Amino acid sequence: MGYARYFRRNWQMYALLVLPITFFIIFKYGPMYGVQIAFKDFNFFRGIGGSEWIGLDGFREVFANHDFYLTLRNTLMLNFLDLIVSFPAPLILAIMLFELKVVWFKKLSQTILYIPHFISWVIIGGIVYQLFGTQSGMINNLLMSLGFDAVPFLSEKNYWLITYLLTGVWQSAGWGTILYLAALTGINKELFEAAEVDGAGRLKRILHITIPGIKPTIVTLLIINLGNMISIGFERPFVIGNLAVREYSDVLSTFVYRIGLESGQYTLATVVGLFQAVVGLIFLLAANYISKKLTDESIL
Amino acid sequence: MANGHSKGKLALGLSAVLASSVLLSACSQNNSTSASDGGSEQAGSLKIEVFDRGNAPAGLTASDNFLTDYVKESFGQPNNIDVEFVPIPRSEEVTKLNVLMASGTDVPDIVFTYDSGTFNKYAEQGGLTDLTPLLDEYGPNLKAFLGEDTLKYGQYEGVQYSIPAKRSTVGKYASFVRQDWLDKLGLPVPTTTEELYNTLVAFKEKDPGETGGKVIPLGMTIAPGQYESLIWSFIQPVTEQERFELTQTLSSRDYPVLLPGFKDAVQYLNKLYNEGLISKDFALDENKETLTQNIGSGLVGAFSEDNDNIFYPEGAYDLLLQNHPDAVLTAIDPYTNSEGKHAKPVAAPNGMYIMVPKSSEHAVEAIKYLDWMASEDHLMYIQNGIEGEHYTLEDGVPVAIPNLSAESTNKLMGGGDIGIIANGRIFESQEKNNEAFVKSFKPDYQDIIAKSLDISNTDAIEPVYTSRPIEAESKYGTTLSEKAKQLIVKSAMVSPAEFDATYESMLKDYMGSGGQAILDERKAAYSEQQ
Repeated sequence: MGYARYFRRNWQMYALLVLPITFFIIFKYGPMYGVQIAFKDFNFFRGIGGSEWIGLDGFREVFANHDFYLTLRNTLMLNFLDLIVSFPAPLILAIMLFELKVVWFKKLSQTILYIPHFISWVIIGGIVYQLFGTQSGMINNLLMSLGFDAVPFLSEKNYWLITYLLTGVWQSAGWGTILYLAALTGINKELFEAAEVDGAGRLKRILHITIPGIKPTIVTLLIINLGNMISIGFERPFVIGNLAVREYSDVLSTFVYRIGLESGQYTLATVVGLFQAVVGLIFLLAANYISKKLTDESIL
Repeated sequence: MANGHSKGKLALGLSAVLASSVLLSACSQNNSTSASDGGSEQAGSLKIEVFDRGNAPAGLTASDNFLTDYVKESFGQPNNIDVEFVPIPRSEEVTKLNVLMASGTDVPDIVFTYDSGTFNKYAEQGGLTDLTPLLDEYGPNLKAFLGEDTLKYGQYEGVQYSIPAKRSTVGKYASFVRQDWLDKLGLPVPTTTEELYNTLVAFKEKDPGETGGKVIPLGMTIAPGQYESLIWSFIQPVTEQERFELTQTLSSRDYPVLLPGFKDAVQYLNKLYNEGLISKDFALDENKETLTQNIGSGLVGAFSEDNDNIFYPEGAYDLLLQNHPDAVLTAIDPYTNSEGKHAKPVAAPNGMYIMVPKSSEHAVEAIKYLDWMASEDHLMYIQNGIEGEHYTLEDGVPVAIPNLSAESTNKLMGGGDIGIIANGRIFESQEKNNEAFVKSFKPDYQDIIAKSLDISNTDAIEPVYTSRPIEAESKYGTTLSEKAKQLIVKSAMVSPAEFDATYESMLKDYMGSGGQAILDERKAAYSEQQ
């Protein structure tokens, strides 16, 4: 079949692809032009082209900055803990939802679980501070009226870490179930029936059919998460963090915001961004490689 | 967050770099044609930045209201200049401005910032129009209004790169105590730091407000209004040279971190915190929301604050009176330094820096606009509204008419943000400025405001003036002001036994993050001046 004929037959598919590809070119590849800022002494008024090349001076300055290492450590730490706490949550939820047989209850639970995902972090931050404040938070008011001491959920770094992680679970676990639920529907129903006939209990069925059935999805998501270890969203640490816990809550994204947008040192901010991109790529490839070796599952 | 298309994730990983660069990609520069080509024969145009505080009444916006119409009619039409206001959210003042300046094309012709570091950076990078010749030609009223004293604050290395706004009153801070609580306990009004301490202890032990154990003897936040009065009262007397070298001016405020006595101040805060005398969550309250709530609900016994903040409509005092009609606040000045003075910082005589970007083709119109504002009664109109409707004149000072209709109130919206050449109402003498300040509030509060204003000017510590900008301050200002607050917070919140170790390690971090660089540069700058 010649190209012309092939194209005539399938042109609709290519037409559909135009929009996403344009999106990537404009929003993902186009801005890479700006990466050169990392190697220039960026001057607001001369623009990218007019600023002078400074080689690796920007990198030297960033790597000599004590805050860079602190925020790098925090980024990895928060992401790693998040992986441990937040990664299994949607999986467990999805399996629980999958086991539910009452359709209306299942639908209702799913909807309720999804909702937090659609609330902006700024609002969640407001709610968290109203609930967990030491002096005027609802939880502590309750604790104190029961005769306990107030717990510094937000102002002591280790308690803060717990607050941060659990807020994350609350916000994202429900939404995270979607992919698993989709994968679960792909498991052959006959396997479950056969297992039931052979006398396998619910737990056995989950362990030996459900989980192996969605293993590729789990591995894929794990790889993606590992690839993102070095990058961290801005809103969550920014709105949940505060001055008393900066030691933990200051991460690369808030660091970039502070030196870039707030202090106008775009060179340094771009250096950090480029660093994150390169390390993120390495992480992703490494995770993919290891996964390929161990489980034969990979995404590349 | 996890979404199908796995290979796309690779591109996503790469795209992390965009965080800082996406805004700049459209950064084609055209700073070619600059100001001086008059161009008044044709209809000119002028884009003016205006703060958007997000509090516009329904149907109005920061860039379209009664006063913006006034500007268009009274300045725009007669001069054949098409005026447009560009709203910038107040809380993102610097970040938004940075982005606009970098874009080069969309930037308004008149922009401004309160942040001296930002102004210096723009000037240093050559992005601002030199206004000296334009001021001479088009700004006689403006020059007369501001005076040389104020104008010098707008210079960068001797060049007039900005027009600084004039400030009507420089006083910043006063303190307040619940008089009704004092009366109930038979206590005197505290006049020294020690007396205040005893008062706070009594408030905590006896809970005169019957708060059920929720009493906050001293309302505290990590905003300057609350902690600066206390901290500066611990600062020891220094020579003029030490003051110049050891002060660190971060984001337009002098920080005393290196001045002798700062550690004692933070240690005192640590004592108050550990004894349960200040707000437990003060570190979380950077925008004073919790404090305002707590004052309003009658939990707070005493606090320091900006001299005017609690008196605005729906402010903390209004709230307090709604909840506790018998509550009475008294303005006090308790913090006393080693010389027995009530020393506290005041603002510089200038307000924000008004700038014309070099890329602007309307620098002439910009100066004409500012000159128009300084001439006749235009500023009076913008700040006070219409005589007879909004105010009456007493000895040449406008006195606010209380209980305006909603329509009349709406006409005043945004006045302070449009009258950019002045911070507050400016008259021919300081006494009149003060009087106008006091009389702009509702009559019930005028006595306490007069006292509060007086306190805020007592034993004033003026900002250190540097004739040349300290580059390290522009560079590290934002980071260091954050670090300084962190130092105060962390050191105040540890147990007294851990105080020294925590303080020293935080100070080390502060010095390493740019504090030392500023100190070195200031020492060099001082010897240059000699």
